[in-house]
Amino acid sequence: MEHLSNATIQAFYLLFSGDRDLWRIIGISCRVSSLALMIAVLPAIMLAFILSYARFIGRRFVISLFNTLLSVPAVVIGLTFYLLLSRQGPLGDLHLLFTQSAMVIGQIALCFPMLVAMGHAAFQSADKRAWETARTLGASPLRALLTIMREIRFGLLAALLAAFGRVISEIGASMMLGGNILYYTRNIPTAIALETSKGEFAQGIALGLVLLLFAFVLNTSLHYFQGKGQVIA
Amino acid sequence: MSYIAFSETHKAFGRRHILQGVGISLREGQCCLLTGQNGAGKSTLQRIIAGLERPDSAQVDVGDGYHSWKAQRKFLQANCVYLHQQPFMFDGSVAENLAYALPRTLTKAERLHRIQVALTWAGLEDIAECWAKTISGGERQRVALARAWLRSPRYMLLDEPSNNLDEDAKRRTLTLLESLKVQGIAMVVASHEAEQYRCIADEQLDLAQGRISARTGVGSTLPPSNIIPINKFQQA
Repeated sequence: MEHLSNATIQAFYLLFSGDRDLWRIIGISCRVSSLALMIAVLPAIMLAFILSYARFIGRRFVISLFNTLLSVPAVVIGLTFYLLLSRQGPLGDLHLLFTQSAMVIGQIALCFPMLVAMGHAAFQSADKRAWETARTLGASPLRALLTIMREIRFGLLAALLAAFGRVISEIGASMMLGGNILYYTRNIPTAIALETSKGEFAQGIALGLVLLLFAFVLNTSLHYFQGKGQVIA
Repeated sequence: MSYIAFSETHKAFGRRHILQGVGISLREGQCCLLTGQNGAGKSTLQRIIAGLERPDSAQVDVGDGYHSWKAQRKFLQANCVYLHQQPFMFDGSVAENLAYALPRTLTKAERLHRIQVALTWAGLEDIAECWAKTISGGERQRVALARAWLRSPRYMLLDEPSNNLDEDAKRRTLTLLESLKVQGIAMVVASHEAEQYRCIADEQLDLAQGRISARTGVGSTLPPSNIIPINKFQQA
């Protein structure tokens, strides 16, 4: 018990003393996850919109596919891209394995289905009259789309926050594709796993606290914005 | 004088044939009252005319001979405005909702001027800054009419414009429709309450079992000499 309390005290010390190693790990996590999300968000939202408003053969299949992909474990994504990016793999010549780019690719694959599925749900919840009203008032398809996105902004924001929550805390893809290289591909979850296996709990607890803080901020923001978007009586 | 004419309009949802060869024509300043039971296809026909709903087949003449609906769709969307039975209000104030219909190329001063004219026209000055999603049904209808009016359409398709409104709100809506008519805007008003619109309607079409079953000349009480160009009115 004393060991645990000492580790916790040391974890707070690491956090507030500005420990360089710790904050670099946090920085890598934020950079990789933010970049993955930024790349994925626009095509994912476009696809969600198309799945909601366009009628084409195979639409239901695509929706089911993305809903299924939601439950694919991160480690399976990691394994798939490892095989693709490894030296003998079809994309081996790109030399991306064990780089931040590979981690970004893995995280894009993880957050894309979530953005599509939740974005689709948000577009489905939009009032169908909104699109027609915008179009009949002379809005171009792009302006009408932006209008709809504004109407459902809280739902889209919820999708964004949930997707960020998923990628910032995943370990399987980052470990397999990044290789857990210090100052380069070591992010919060892979560092926690490594430090814990070494018996160095202080850094693990400190990073765990950061993840908890992220989860708290994301959930509070989500709750706040969902409250803002409540149904009008 | 501008006009649009639809011929052989067909539309089915699954096995249910809503419209079976319907024909309708509209000319400047004309008001057509569209009646029929629930599910008769009034809204579908209006949405097809407005370019919002794709028919299974339809021939459309907008002054250059009959062409397919697809070929005329851009014209229909550019010249027609469809108003839902319960108009949708965008997130924002009443004034912001009105601004939505204005071309984005206008200067800020011109936008403000036009919004003010529309607010006055529809009697909405007092609620200009109110959040549009919270206003009453009657006010919502007037905002929708003012918003559509700002778009300067040639044709307006109104779906049950006075449904669920109290007598005062119905009277005010009707006054605005009369004003639209004298400006030369052609209207198709779908309504169960035919009596209420007889004073502005020139023609009554009864839609039943996918066809126009009765075509009645009603005869509006508004003199045709009142027609003035819409642009002149808006500049006033």
